[in-house]
Amino acid sequence: MLSHEENELLTHTAPGTPGGDYFRRFWLPVLLPSEVPTPDCSPVRVKVLGEDLLAFRDSKGRVALIDEFCPHRRASLFWGRNEECGLRCVYHGWKFDVNGTCVDMPNEPEEYGFENKVRIAAYPTREYGGLIWAYLGPPEHQPDLPKLEWARVPDSHRYISKRVQETNYLQAIEGGIDSSHSNFLHASLDAFRVTDSYVEKVKNSSNLRAKYHLLDKAPRFTVKKTDYGLVIGVRRNAEEDRYYWRLTQFLLPSYTMIPYEKGLAIHGHCWVPRDDETCWVWTASWRPDGPLSEEEWDSIRNETFVHAKVDPATFRPLRNKGNQYLLDREKQRSVNMTGIHGFAAQDQAIQESMGTVVDRTRERLGTSDTAIIATRRLLLQEIRELSEGRQPYAAHHGDVYWIRSASLLLNRDVEFDEGARELMKAEV
Amino acid sequence: MFPLSEVNPEHIVTVKDFSADTLRNVIAHLKVSTSFEHLVYREAELDALWTITGFFLANEPASTQRDAVNRLHTGTHKAHDLVADRRPEAAATVLEAFV
Repeated sequence: MLSHEENELLTHTAPGTPGGDYFRRFWLPVLLPSEVPTPDCSPVRVKVLGEDLLAFRDSKGRVALIDEFCPHRRASLFWGRNEECGLRCVYHGWKFDVNGTCVDMPNEPEEYGFENKVRIAAYPTREYGGLIWAYLGPPEHQPDLPKLEWARVPDSHRYISKRVQETNYLQAIEGGIDSSHSNFLHASLDAFRVTDSYVEKVKNSSNLRAKYHLLDKAPRFTVKKTDYGLVIGVRRNAEEDRYYWRLTQFLLPSYTMIPYEKGLAIHGHCWVPRDDETCWVWTASWRPDGPLSEEEWDSIRNETFVHAKVDPATFRPLRNKGNQYLLDREKQRSVNMTGIHGFAAQDQAIQESMGTVVDRTRERLGTSDTAIIATRRLLLQEIRELSEGRQPYAAHHGDVYWIRSASLLLNRDVEFDEGARELMKAEV
Repeated sequence: MFPLSEVNPEHIVTVKDFSADTLRNVIAHLKVSTSFEHLVYREAELDALWTITGFFLANEPASTQRDAVNRLHTGTHKAHDLVADRRPEAAATVLEAFV
């Protein structure tokens, strides 16, 4: 549980809030390049950290992220013309460049020279790792870009999707690091009921996760604080002398990774506050050693795992609260726990059901919620330290993000961070 | 019963009830906890105690233990907030009143 004050501190990220100040110390993904594909293309609205912004690509191909509203009469620049290295407001013709400087003000006498004195908020952007990133913080604290493995593989080796979720970002992160939910929310009925046929199938498969989940239903949780955030170890009994470990990371300010099985694609999320009641979910699937396999593309196309199909204009998933995520009660009776198709929609349904900002004073946690507790305490600590003037370490050390999740068998006398050291290194 | 030299703060106490034994075990772990990770584990244990006492109060309205459990429930909350404030020793002192 958290106190009301702690919950507020963590979940508010608008300008001027301590949580907002914290997120404004990191580069954040804000756009798919396809949203602003060519010079002088149409501008697009971008809402992030409670700010209404507008992105456009100027005539030189530079991506601008500026205040949505013209300072003259507060008209939306969304209706503006993207022309000759600037966006012109169609109301009275004021024009702004990528730096937010007003470069033309045709309705005022030229001799007043107003245009050079007028500026709107404009944030630096970078194209990196298949995404467009922005930094919304003070220029003197501009951080490093995070050297995430998925951001450094060739385009052919990764797929990144974007969707909007109707909850605060923290609820989404907590879903990402809560490994105990996957045996229930994402389970098939056979797995949940542990039918004979399921046991037979698992016993003879190479799927270690399924095998050891069957053997030990009460895993032990371990957390370790690191330079990038947290590594979370979930340990299950395996053979007499070994443990099966699943290791995942929480990377500041809001990245998570799904435990990686060697030979398969790796998956991770970045959860970016859109405002206090909604967040952007960026999901990456990648292979360091080659292009994604046909099977992996099938899973993406069929939405079976972490990606979901969305409305291309709004990024709202096609399975959403408004249509009850296309819940199929018959499927719930006979196929899986939820009757909802795909892990992404299952997560979204359950997290949105908690309300936009869950009241954490009313929770009833247990020791299986250790990772959630650790993540909240770390974020609270970081936010408070920034309020006292200490800049976040990870923001200025992009190398610390060079890390990967893992799952492996280790002898019982080996510490997981020692045993998994090589496996947790990113390669690209 | 729980010599502090033998208590490992890296270990999470299994909280299945709010018996005196469980409380003593949690208290002993509080007394040797120093790092961020230790405090996370202690908070998880106190959350579990608070959850169990809360469910008892909700489900056993006629119990003769009700007043005592209610005090423990409140004390657990206080201890939890002390751990959140990085004061595990003070949290242990709060819980010692219940054993």
